[in-house]
Amino acid sequence: MAEVQKGKEYWRWTESRWTSPDMDWKSGGIISAGVDVGSVSTQAVVMVDGKLYCYANMRTGSDSPESANNAMKWALEGTGLSRDKIHATVGTGYGRVNVPFATKAITEIACHARGGNFMYGPQVRTILDMGGQDCKAIRCDEKGKVTAFLMNDKCAAGTGRGMEVFSDLLGVHINDVGAMSLQVAEEPPPVSSTCVVFAKSEASGLLRQGWPKEKVLAAYCSAMAHRIVTLLERIGVEKEFAITGGISKNVGVVSRLSKELSVTPLKTDLDPQIAGAIGGALFAKALYEKKGK
Amino acid sequence: MIEMYKEWYEARHEYAKEWKEKTGGKVLGYFCTYVPEEILYAAGVLPVRILGSHEPQNVSEPHIFAMFCPFCRDCLAQGLQGRYGYLDGIMIAQSCLHVRQAYTSWDLHIPTEFSYYLSMPHHVQSPHAAEFLRGEYKTFISKVENWTGKKITDDDLKRGIDIMNRSRTLMKSVYETRKKSDVPITGLDAMYMVVASQMIEKSEHARATEGVIKELAGRSTGKENATRLMLLGSENDDVEFIEMVESLNAVIVQDDHCTGTRYFWDVVESNGDPLTAIARRYVKRLPCPTKDWPDRRRMERILQFAKEWNVAGAIVIQQKFCDPHEIDIPAIRKALEAAGVKVLFLEFDVTVPVGQFRIRVEAFLEMLSEEDLF
Repeated sequence: MAEVQKGKEYWRWTESRWTSPDMDWKSGGIISAGVDVGSVSTQAVVMVDGKLYCYANMRTGSDSPESANNAMKWALEGTGLSRDKIHATVGTGYGRVNVPFATKAITEIACHARGGNFMYGPQVRTILDMGGQDCKAIRCDEKGKVTAFLMNDKCAAGTGRGMEVFSDLLGVHINDVGAMSLQVAEEPPPVSSTCVVFAKSEASGLLRQGWPKEKVLAAYCSAMAHRIVTLLERIGVEKEFAITGGISKNVGVVSRLSKELSVTPLKTDLDPQIAGAIGGALFAKALYEKKGK
Repeated sequence: MIEMYKEWYEARHEYAKEWKEKTGGKVLGYFCTYVPEEILYAAGVLPVRILGSHEPQNVSEPHIFAMFCPFCRDCLAQGLQGRYGYLDGIMIAQSCLHVRQAYTSWDLHIPTEFSYYLSMPHHVQSPHAAEFLRGEYKTFISKVENWTGKKITDDDLKRGIDIMNRSRTLMKSVYETRKKSDVPITGLDAMYMVVASQMIEKSEHARATEGVIKELAGRSTGKENATRLMLLGSENDDVEFIEMVESLNAVIVQDDHCTGTRYFWDVVESNGDPLTAIARRYVKRLPCPTKDWPDRRRMERILQFAKEWNVAGAIVIQQKFCDPHEIDIPAIRKALEAAGVKVLFLEFDVTVPVGQFRIRVEAFLEMLSEEDLF
């Protein structure tokens, strides 16, 4: 059986914040923000004239407005910038209507396409957003406008929350789950249950049978990858392809997904979890400009 | 005046009970729009459509498979919960296996003085279909005559046709007004009108509708700049969902489903033998997917609607586990998209998870508009 330390929060992924070292918000440009309140994580992004200035990525609390406030506060920390200087803000994500200081709410589907276009370039045509509680396959044009999309229905399998459950069950930190799942000589058959709760029971059974953690994680990551592939195939993957959201940091899922699709996802230096908030900030800028016209 | 239909829709049971008290007539509950209401009106019977209530329930499980469509389970639940206790009879015209199960289970557990399974042919494209159906109608008529104790004459049938055709023609006039860019009636109100016509005595409904058509001439919903949508599917009387869609910057202007145009669009061409005319109408009417083969005849009408009502997008509502509709969806999507109409596919259950649908609908609307943000 896996050794699990009681009370340790294996699921707790690394929160982050960043400020551009070579930009100044006082330059007089349009300051726009995007706040993406997801079911698991919240991101706040601030852009100056459509360039990334600072961001924060943290866990969503039980209260959406508070999560939005906290993420924005952390993003602005140490920049000297305050909320009242921001010209326009777009709220997006699961809690998009609960961002207290937002000019407008726009869906995370539109925002991920727009943000993906910014992060990966205009050649991106398919974006897979693997979020905390759902998963979206998005097709877009060269401007980052959505042309088609699909979401998984009514089930958290294949999402971040499911991965957190497994991380806790096995006592493996969530940041290490992906790499560990690749440490198997041979790929085991995938976990068969699509429901997170049943998959967890199935995994407990495998552990009792003496499966090492690596093998159980491999079985779960490959099940997740497979489920996402079936979603993607319904909409069709056109190159270039990019993955956003928390699960895109899980190399165990991503590598299996790329192999099954025979497509290599584009890479980015930015945190792929902030794609939605970037899209929101870009829409906020467009809204501000539109109002000015 | 338009509020009347919502009241009728919500008080459907009270209406039927009052109608019975007032007229001393019989009320028959029917399961599918292939039931020839002309014959029932000819017999002086009030046909009311059995529909679900879109509420969670725990009574249908022992009687119908959980993987049968939510609509048929919801319908059966209404009977099991005693909400249709006033019915004197029930009937179905063969349409799909799932709703037939709802009918047979109802017949088994909730006895009424009359119940009838009408063998409506599936192969309506066969040259013999109308003749076959006319024969089935003859048998059906003799059973109804036995039940009511009253002969149904050709004149009765002609009266039945007139009642039905008048209602259909009026509803078509209402739908014509929805072509206007400042659409005078919301999709929700139009839905209330159609569904009410399936529950309210047709002549009474028609009198009200004549008044409403006059009212619509000068009416505005203030939706001139909203995205124009059409709804496709089986039965879509989901108030909460339609309300949600129209609370966004969207308006539903046309449909293809059996709580909409598929119910009333085609009239009986009433020359010659009335029974033949009725049979031809049900064989030739815009088919439901259970009968729409080998040629897919629905497609032409759907594309015509999309074009003439100037819709930007279509929401395809799929009742979970409804195979006949699901089979059509790839073809419908392809044809609509080729005609420049975007498609949003949603799978429905008895109750609507409105939040989950809201994001899909919002994203769909963003896809159809907001060009100026790029």
